Amino acid sequence: TPRKDIVPHITERRTPCKTPAKVLEHARARLHVSAVPDSLPCREHEFDDIYTFVRSKILDGTGGCMYISGVPGTGKTATVTEVMSFLRKEVEEDEDFPEFTLVEINGMKLTEPHQAFVQILKNLTGQKATAEHASQLLEKYFTSAAGRKQPIVLLVDELDLLWTRKQGVLYSIFDWPSRPKARLIVLAIANTMDLPERIMMNRISSRLGLTRMTFQPYTFKQLQSIVQSRLEGLQAFEPDAIQLAARKVAAVSGDARRALDICRRATELAETTKPTGKSKGPLVGMKHVDAALTEMFSSPKIVAMRQASRHEQIFLRAIATEFKMSGLEEGSFEKVLIQHISICRLEGLHPPVVSEVAAVCSRLASCRLILLESGTNELKQRIRLNVSQDDVTYALRDHSE
Amino acid sequence: MSHLQEAFRKTFPAIMPKRNCRREPLGGSTIDRVQSILRRRVCRIEVPPKDIIEENLKEQRQHLVDLINRCAVRGESNSAIVTGPHGSGKTMLVSSVLREIESNPKVSKNLLIIRLNGLLQTDDKIAIQEITRQLQLDNVVGDKVFGSFAENLAFLLEALKRGSDTAQSVLFILEEFDLFAHHKNQTLLYNLFDICQSAQTPIAVIGVTRRLDVVELLEKRVKSRFSHRHIHVFNSLAFPAYKEVCKRVLTLPAEVGDAKFVKRWNQDIEALCSNATVHDVLKKTYQLDKSICRLQSLLLLPICKVTEDHPAIEAVDLVESSKHLGADSKAAMLHGISVLQLALVIAMKHLTDLYEGDPFNFEMLYNEYLKFVQRKAHVVQSFEKPVVLKAFEHLVSLEIVKPVDGHGSRTQKEYRAMSLLVTSAQLMDVLNTYPGCPSELKHWASNPLPS
Repeated sequence: TPRKDIVPHITERRTPCKTPAKVLEHARARLHVSAVPDSLPCREHEFDDIYTFVRSKILDGTGGCMYISGVPGTGKTATVTEVMSFLRKEVEEDEDFPEFTLVEINGMKLTEPHQAFVQILKNLTGQKATAEHASQLLEKYFTSAAGRKQPIVLLVDELDLLWTRKQGVLYSIFDWPSRPKARLIVLAIANTMDLPERIMMNRISSRLGLTRMTFQPYTFKQLQSIVQSRLEGLQAFEPDAIQLAARKVAAVSGDARRALDICRRATELAETTKPTGKSKGPLVGMKHVDAALTEMFSSPKIVAMRQASRHEQIFLRAIATEFKMSGLEEGSFEKVLIQHISICRLEGLHPPVVSEVAAVCSRLASCRLILLESGTNELKQRIRLNVSQDDVTYALRDHSE
Repeated sequence: MSHLQEAFRKTFPAIMPKRNCRREPLGGSTIDRVQSILRRRVCRIEVPPKDIIEENLKEQRQHLVDLINRCAVRGESNSAIVTGPHGSGKTMLVSSVLREIESNPKVSKNLLIIRLNGLLQTDDKIAIQEITRQLQLDNVVGDKVFGSFAENLAFLLEALKRGSDTAQSVLFILEEFDLFAHHKNQTLLYNLFDICQSAQTPIAVIGVTRRLDVVELLEKRVKSRFSHRHIHVFNSLAFPAYKEVCKRVLTLPAEVGDAKFVKRWNQDIEALCSNATVHDVLKKTYQLDKSICRLQSLLLLPICKVTEDHPAIEAVDLVESSKHLGADSKAAMLHGISVLQLALVIAMKHLTDLYEGDPFNFEMLYNEYLKFVQRKAHVVQSFEKPVVLKAFEHLVSLEIVKPVDGHGSRTQKEYRAMSLLVTSAQLMDVLNTYPGCPSELKHWASNPLPS
């Protein structure tokens, strides 16, 4: 086909990207999640394990599998990529070390599990084929090592997405390494630790083997040293500010991306509030980090309820009253309507017509302060609160005009 | 306006308005010009100028402008979500920011803008085709995108991966962001956020949605890649400011032409806004819904009424318009039914009261109707069963009464469990205003027959 030689690209820039000039801009550029450092702090142990595994397999000329798990943002993919670039360097420096091919696929970047075959084949040989044909070609490729010397490292990210009913894709991926001539090393990455037991058939999890590794979420000390290592040589942050961000993130998820994002947002906030600073240039302090934390972690529901219109607030109160009276966590629109009208009467407001109250109800449902059963029978539809009843009372307590 | 039209207008704001209402500075009388200026404001075709938006949304706007500027100038990737209830000005905020950016050549020549809408791009396949088309990648010929879904995705990712810092920055604006989260595996969102967080083409992803809990819809690996910047927009106007907005919407600029007319009009508006009746109408609207959208629809009718014979907006117009907006649709529907159907609705009401909200069926209803008719045979004509059934089915089709178990049930229609969707207050209101309603019916409605 004529499209074969096209190299995809996006229109080029007119002016090149500005390089950072000020301290805070430098800090921000380094704090970006994409600015992965050459060596990852706090993951030395995992690095060693994976490195020894892959290296020994390459040197022995055998195949094998390794399953790597951990919650998002704990440095799984980054560590594996680092191992690969380290091995690559070794290939260049050490003449005895055999060349190897690296093939990367990501379950989330495929439209459908069987596309994995197409991607692997394309990365290996540059051939284009349909999923079925690609699977056959790969089968042949790994059984007969005709004219091929290099070992292959296959990196499969987001493994759980490759699950199909018959699990053919997973089976193939973990079966190839056990072929005598394949010399294939598979590194599979996913989030859950018990994935092999949970979703895979026995014959697949037995092929996957027991070489497994779990990435623990970062502790606050680790997060702190990650941020500090990125900011090395830059006077941008107060040490306490970093600690606050690290402790908060470690308490919630231990996701390094989150810690970096918070610090980056804090530098932005520090930059905008700069003029008040007197002496040695802008420094990101506790208050900036704190502002960034509240911005990223807080729920806007209380504010939304406070900013709602009078009748929307009355409707929320009517729901709370109805729940208190019935003792249930669910009420029909009809019942809430009666409460709404009686609250209106109590407060000396003219009660609105049913259509208006229904509109108020659907508005609250569209921003998910309440949950509404879908359907058109308006009087009978059931309503639930999406916030706790205490939040409703708290938000509306001193706020009715 | 239908959802699709609205989605289209949001996605391609530059195309729709031009085609629909081209501004005509030359032709037409003064009144026509007044109409066209005011309508452009009220129908949300015109984005209000920067300083007006900044009155309330200064921080939010600055955050967005900074974010996009940094993406375009420094190549820093970012993601953010703009949330807020309906009519709070999310899209307006974004379009105002885009306008500012387009007028700044430093930024605009390094930035490609991709607009997507969850209502139009209902799955990832369509969304990716649309992105490819708007980016004008090489597999696009004319307006047609070639290749399968998998090829398109691979091609797009490849393109975005290749141009690390030489390529133009890309700004993605995803309207109705929550609908994108319902796509299979959230592939599109994962990939966009992943590009944001890795050293590829600099992109900025801005989601616009009403749902406050949109982040909870994201899968955990997608959520981890999202940088958790929330920009909240609320209807936070206090009532005096709300009134001020109303005045500003109606006030004419000097360029209408006829200076004398403009002066008089603006004086009239001034007087109108201090009128007590208008105050009440606005207050009532404000208490129901604080959004500017509602105010605009309230003002639309009075504006349309401005003609040569009626060259100023009066308080009566606003009152009438508010009545139109606040009409009870069910009551309006009940006004149009026949006396027999009205009798049936009353019977249903009694049944609902009697069985405390439990559903009833047609046979029970017919029985109740017969009891009434037999006692008052001299006033209300008694109808045969088929006629009553027909009347009943008409009520079902109007959805005044609905089957409890949905449409799929195979029960005979006489025995289907039904529930009434009219409150007794609504019914009483209708009976009092129904033209030529027999007094027996009214009596029956308030006093159920002894069983």
